[in-house]
Amino acid sequence: MFPKPIEKSTRSAQLAYQALLPVTLLLWLAPLIAVALFAIRPAVDFTTGNYWGVPSELQFFENFGQVLNSAMPRYIMNSFFITIPTVFGAVGLSAMAGFALGIYKFKSNLFLFFMFIAGNFVPFQILMIPVRDLTLDLGLYDTKTGLILFHIAFSTGFCTLFMRNFIKALPFELIEAARVEGVREWQIFFYIVLPLMKPALAALSVLIFTFIWNDYFWAIVLTQGENAQPVTAGITSFNAQFRAMYHLMSAGSIVAALPPVAMFFLMQKHFIAGLTLGAVK
Amino acid sequence: MKLTIKSTLAALVASTILAMPVSAELSGDLKIFLDTSNPAPRATMEEMIGRFQEKHPNMNIETTVIDREAYKTQIRNFLTANSPDIATWYAANRMTPYVKAGLFEDISDLWSDTVIGEELASTKGAMTIDGKQWGVPYTYYQWGIYYRKDIYEDLGIKEPANFDEMLSNCQKVVDAGMKCYTIGTKWLWTASGWFDYLNMRTHGFDFHMELASGKVAWTDARVRETFANWRKLVDMGAFVDDHQNKDWQQSLPLLVNGDAAAILKGNFAVAPLREAGLDDSKLDFHQFPEITAGVALAEDAPTDTFHIPANAANKDNARAFLLHMASAEEQTIINNGANLGQLPVNSKASIDDDKFLQEGFAMLSSNSPGGVAQFFDRDYPAEMAQGAMEGMQEFMVFPDNLDDILDRLEDMRADVYK
Repeated sequence: MFPKPIEKSTRSAQLAYQALLPVTLLLWLAPLIAVALFAIRPAVDFTTGNYWGVPSELQFFENFGQVLNSAMPRYIMNSFFITIPTVFGAVGLSAMAGFALGIYKFKSNLFLFFMFIAGNFVPFQILMIPVRDLTLDLGLYDTKTGLILFHIAFSTGFCTLFMRNFIKALPFELIEAARVEGVREWQIFFYIVLPLMKPALAALSVLIFTFIWNDYFWAIVLTQGENAQPVTAGITSFNAQFRAMYHLMSAGSIVAALPPVAMFFLMQKHFIAGLTLGAVK
Repeated sequence: MKLTIKSTLAALVASTILAMPVSAELSGDLKIFLDTSNPAPRATMEEMIGRFQEKHPNMNIETTVIDREAYKTQIRNFLTANSPDIATWYAANRMTPYVKAGLFEDISDLWSDTVIGEELASTKGAMTIDGKQWGVPYTYYQWGIYYRKDIYEDLGIKEPANFDEMLSNCQKVVDAGMKCYTIGTKWLWTASGWFDYLNMRTHGFDFHMELASGKVAWTDARVRETFANWRKLVDMGAFVDDHQNKDWQQSLPLLVNGDAAAILKGNFAVAPLREAGLDDSKLDFHQFPEITAGVALAEDAPTDTFHIPANAANKDNARAFLLHMASAEEQTIINNGANLGQLPVNSKASIDDDKFLQEGFAMLSSNSPGGVAQFFDRDYPAEMAQGAMEGMQEFMVFPDNLDDILDRLEDMRADVYK
């Protein structure tokens, strides 16, 4: 099941491994390296075909300065205003839903739970037109609120699956004991279950933050301009009428990627936990 | 419903014309959507709007700039849902879907009652559908062959006067180990530029437009003749290899580095080529040469336009804005070299003192008797254009598939023009 540790293989295999690893790594990282390199190039390098060579001029400050002087900061703020409420909304709702599905035994419990799971199997593209019409009818088209509400609704399915399984794995005796003591149900949720769920809450928040931050599809379907569009959609504003400003788009992508990357490094432990939580019991 | 809209419109138009001498100050709102997302065009447009604001300080103007490509997919959405008062778009057939869907305002009144009709007359045809005008143009630019003057001189080649000279020139370039024309067909429209010119030169503007309107079969012998001329170039190795994997920007390095001697392109290619070091001693322009003797020369000159959406809330302000934007004074400023670097549509506007703009203007105003086309994907209906451009790309890579391609396009024609 687990790969054999490299120290236990033959010397030649080790050498081959050591030689191939950096090459693979470079190949694997090539797109990212390209973006990093493009971000410091002047525009003219793309016309002379100097994609991979030494930049003809270092334009780190010019490019990033132009990015920060454009509408990018506005788009990044939008991203925060969309992502953070969504994380709170989705995680909060799913914690409550997960509590209900995990603790109470009622007739349609399993059916309800399956409905949440089934929601995850709906390809989101088929929702495009109904959701667009709905936001339009509700007057939420081209607003951050519209995007937030949709994201909450759509992420809650996955989050509930995650939360319900986590709560189900908690020792039920804890809750029984609390009930014997006469603790009210909402107090059980707040004072017993919620503190135990901290790792799950943290992991899920990180996960949802990156999902929502990186969303492009709904951003272009439900919003139009600077007032509501998040940064993923805003980057395309460096596409010109005739020319794509590769250097500015690269610099913009780097700026746009900073928050989720920072989030990942700060909360690395939780992120990994989030990916495997519930996968093994 | 229809009646009320019509009568309201009529009332609006009448009140606009009666109540509004050009200098009158207007108030209220004006919501403008632009697709000029590049830094320079964006600034140009914002300044032009700023000058309009100065004339009407009490007007509340709100400008939204949307990335050009995203705009193309969003326009149908916002014209129905969240309509601005002014929107940018393109001339000719590209307007048709929105005109037919009743989403653009009929502004024939501006064309008949104001200076627009007189000073922008050259583009009236491209703005007309069903005998009415639907928009006002603000800029256009020429297409043609941009070539490496230094390479042509080294090889002793002159600007070709006809197709035979074009072919013999090309043979010399190929013999010298270069390619004649660089092209990147990954974004299909570049190939259709070649088709436009080959077809208009082989059979003329009128035939090209008959094909555009679905009156001629794609399997017609004349279409085959056009492709046969194209094939001469393909077979002699005139075009760079692997062009289907390059976009047009990626095809420029081949010209800059001297692997190819020329490119068929719009005037927008000049700016990046100059930046890359091709100054006027190395880069020059010539008109696409005659192919069939006696066929009047016609050119591609894509025109960009402003429209009033039918659902706009402030149509009288929008009309005043169009008048402002169409004036000779404004068109001179927005099209000069520091701004858009293109040709003004207003005949009283002056042209920037730039070699390529001057040559383009001379060509379009005096050497294009056949007519002025908009460009393949603007003249042909969207669905037909998409299919045809895919076919052209395929043809350039596998010329032997031509029969298949034309049969396919002919099937498509039956569907598209129903």
